[in-house]
Amino acid sequence: MEERYDIVVIGGGVIGCSIARELSKYQVKILLLEKESDVTLGTSGKNSGVVHSGLYPKPGSLKARLNVEGNRLFPKFCEELDVPFRKIGTLVVAKNKDEVKELKRLKKIGDTNGVPGIEIISQHELKKMEPNIKGVASLYSPTGGITSPYTLTIALAENALLNGVKISLNNEVKGIRRENGRLLVKTEKGEFKTGWVINSAGLFADRIAQMVGISDYRIYPCRGEYHILDKRTMGLINRMVYPVPPKEGGGKGIHLTPTISGNILIGPSAAYIRDREDTKTTKRIMKRLFQEAKEFLPKLTENDFIHNYSGNRAKLIGPKVSGFSDFVIEESPKIPYFINLIGIESPGLTCAPAIAKMVVNIIKEKEGLRRNRDFNPKRHGIKRFSDLSLDEKERLIKENPNFGEIICRCEEVTRQEIISAIKNPLGVVTLSGIKYRTRAGMGRCQGGYCLPKIVGILEEFGISEREITLKGKGSSLFYGRMRE
Amino acid sequence: MREVDIIIIGGGPAGLSAAISCKREGIDNLLLIEREDRLGGILNQCIHSGFGLEIFKEDLTGPEYAKRYITEVERLHIPFMLKGNVLDISQDKEVVVVSPKGLFKLRAKAIILSMGCRERARGAIGIPGTRPAGIYTAGQAQNLMNIRNYMVGKRVVILGSGDIGLIMARRLTLEGARVLAVVEILPYCSGLPRNRVQCLEDFKIPLLLNHTIVDIKGDKRLKSVTISKVGKRGGIVPRQKREIPCDTLLLSCGLIPENELSRKAGVILDPETSGPIVNEELETNIPGIYACGNVLQVHDLVDWVTLEGEKVGKSAASYVKGGKRNYQWIDARAGSGIRYIIPHRISTERDVEVTLRVSRPGKDKDILVKDRNRLIKKVFFGKVNPSQMIKLRLNKKELRGTKALWVSLR
Amino acid sequence: MIRDLTCIVCPKACKLKVEYSEKGIERIQGVLCKKGQDYVREEIYNPTRVLTSSVRVMDGDLKLVSVKTNRPIPKDLLMKVMDVLYKTKVKAPIKIGDILIKNILGSGIDIVATKNIKGNG
Repeated sequence: MEERYDIVVIGGGVIGCSIARELSKYQVKILLLEKESDVTLGTSGKNSGVVHSGLYPKPGSLKARLNVEGNRLFPKFCEELDVPFRKIGTLVVAKNKDEVKELKRLKKIGDTNGVPGIEIISQHELKKMEPNIKGVASLYSPTGGITSPYTLTIALAENALLNGVKISLNNEVKGIRRENGRLLVKTEKGEFKTGWVINSAGLFADRIAQMVGISDYRIYPCRGEYHILDKRTMGLINRMVYPVPPKEGGGKGIHLTPTISGNILIGPSAAYIRDREDTKTTKRIMKRLFQEAKEFLPKLTENDFIHNYSGNRAKLIGPKVSGFSDFVIEESPKIPYFINLIGIESPGLTCAPAIAKMVVNIIKEKEGLRRNRDFNPKRHGIKRFSDLSLDEKERLIKENPNFGEIICRCEEVTRQEIISAIKNPLGVVTLSGIKYRTRAGMGRCQGGYCLPKIVGILEEFGISEREITLKGKGSSLFYGRMRE
Repeated sequence: MREVDIIIIGGGPAGLSAAISCKREGIDNLLLIEREDRLGGILNQCIHSGFGLEIFKEDLTGPEYAKRYITEVERLHIPFMLKGNVLDISQDKEVVVVSPKGLFKLRAKAIILSMGCRERARGAIGIPGTRPAGIYTAGQAQNLMNIRNYMVGKRVVILGSGDIGLIMARRLTLEGARVLAVVEILPYCSGLPRNRVQCLEDFKIPLLLNHTIVDIKGDKRLKSVTISKVGKRGGIVPRQKREIPCDTLLLSCGLIPENELSRKAGVILDPETSGPIVNEELETNIPGIYACGNVLQVHDLVDWVTLEGEKVGKSAASYVKGGKRNYQWIDARAGSGIRYIIPHRISTERDVEVTLRVSRPGKDKDILVKDRNRLIKKVFFGKVNPSQMIKLRLNKKELRGTKALWVSLR
Repeated sequence: MIRDLTCIVCPKACKLKVEYSEKGIERIQGVLCKKGQDYVREEIYNPTRVLTSSVRVMDGDLKLVSVKTNRPIPKDLLMKVMDVLYKTKVKAPIKIGDILIKNILGSGIDIVATKNIKGNG
């Protein structure tokens, strides 16, 4: 079967989904391809969820420009898509006098990059802002924010779908070739003829580029591990707390991030690895995360840990090289109509709205794009029971008794929310899909209580025991029935 | 706002017996709130036997044990709510509960906390490795198999030798799976000897003491776990690693009293038990809020849970009826070799039963109860084991004049 | 013959070394009470267990009914009884104590329900 599209976007991460959604504002036929069972299963679902203000990227770089622009676009971006976003501010904390110099250097970078409102604050002021944080001085950047990266990616995909983008999951790209001036994308499910290919394959972007003969890039996966803390730690910190960036490794250092849902994240570490999809966690780094975080936050205890996970960065520079590498966002000089987005690591999430606009402009330079008058920027997420007031909760249960049945008690997720997640527009029916859409299973008991209940609801929807999977094919939960 | 004399939160064995006890003490305006669609709590999925040996002198299964109390609740016309989830309890005992029938705000004169406990999950233990399908807590697997009729795995490793893990080792074997090993980090089995014999030894399932899991492999479904011997200081012994191919890992690594609601009400918890700090009435620091069962301390036998519920029912009923309250409480503290003691405060005016657990196994030990240097009581134990709850009765004569109670192991 | 046993009559869980032959027990090492001696004899010559498991229910509010043997059964029958239980199907409603399989495998032991199951109409 061969289908024709104007544009094929490869990769259902936050970048691919942002681009697909931005392009759906125009009259073009778009296909988004994702090899996994859902969007957001790669790096986009496994990061800090930070919307950076722009203190870190080298002035004049693409990263710096897109970061500051992305930060500015973010509030409206999230509002349209019904995605939580809060501007809580960022603190870079100096542990000793020596590190204060670094704060000044960072302030200069931030100022040059056009980050508004940054200032260096004293120990006294730091104590007032964050009484539980230890440090001698701090750089304060008020425009740093937090969001839910996986909710955002799902929202972008759903809105793109609503506006006519075709989203094909479980469909890995196997090869790309040029034919009569068009590009032909071969996947595990078929062949697609297209005018443009947008390579936003994240950790695999170099391999996708190689498929059309571009071998200039190599991705070095760099794993970052995290701990998530129990919500009872909510309020221990109110802003993001970063250390002064470590001299080596090129990361921002292990930091503390309040999440949009009220947990605290510790991490990420930075370790180069071989297998790009190896998102395991290690005992050594778990210990290190705890120790480093405890230096800032002495009140931290290991009893507060509820979960750990890791995500891999798509870096363009390898372990032994120091220095700065910029994003690659361009139409390939070798292969026309093939747009590469390579090395999109942090602050990629922040940059997503700006990157999407930039890609549209690359296309516009070559061909006229006509506005899609029917474009609807709004997407409505699943109504979250736990966010409502008691009166609203009462009213909702009266209208629909499914809101009165709590399925995940740690995150207060109701039966109705699980049902809405099962009926999601992308048609994803996996446990991880339900988790990312409702937060069921993300709390302190990590699904100990709700998993059997969710399985029960899936059963009511006629999903057979073999089709109940964690994250798609090969990840079945069960070996059939105990009794036929 | 509806006024209720006593609200009991949780309809498992603790809540059931507390409710019956309240009713027998003459309290009619009661409400027992249960989040599931039937009473009985976790007993409904514990289809193995071994329940009721102390109270009924019979070997009952979990559902049979529960049914005896459910029948009594029904016979006494005790009001209960099913599919009810308490969202909030305030310090002045206002309770917000939701069910498919609506959201209700209730005000209670007394509240009995009997919410039970949850299992420690992977993140809290910090097991390294990947995150594939096939990793369950033992209780989760128990529910999926015994209630929902799903087979969770074929080649299974169990981490932790707690009772639920041992019970599940037998269940899985009987149902046709192969249990390759039970891996325990401690130098002794955490579960009861009876379960070790009948669940592991009967089926020749290896129990690997001083071992832990150091890696988990598999991207989609679990492929293997790597176990390692643990040295004396808790470190991994290199070159003592072994990879076991398996498709399923069950975690039986301890239970945590479920006190999130208690915290909301301002109840102070004991870091050692993770349950409320209580006096001999089993009353928390908030007057009129009581706790019993696994929300207070993780029990070894359900029979003791039932008896604790009975005791709490009497205390709460007395509170509602305006019984004596002006006791002079003294502290009861766990000394060396004792992990915890409950209650945390005693009056010395009445006979009292205390429950405690030792920190590690031992032979030929004395448990000493002291008031500073005065020895109040000495009890000899040929064997002590942390898996077993020890109960001591102290009578008021022995306690007279005591300023602070210290219990230690020698 | 020599066997190591853990007595499970009480929580003391005495560890025993038992020397025995076909004729009877010759020597038991380890602390042992009267009840313990009975246990050892049973465990050596006629080990029995109460088997608990589940049976498939049709038309019930649950898919499985929990069951047990009404008396302890010889240990070597456990897996054979399980083979029967795997294949058995019963119809709701069911009450605790209902005999679901009478005289299983001619052992004189019955399989009884340990849970109430309502019919789902």
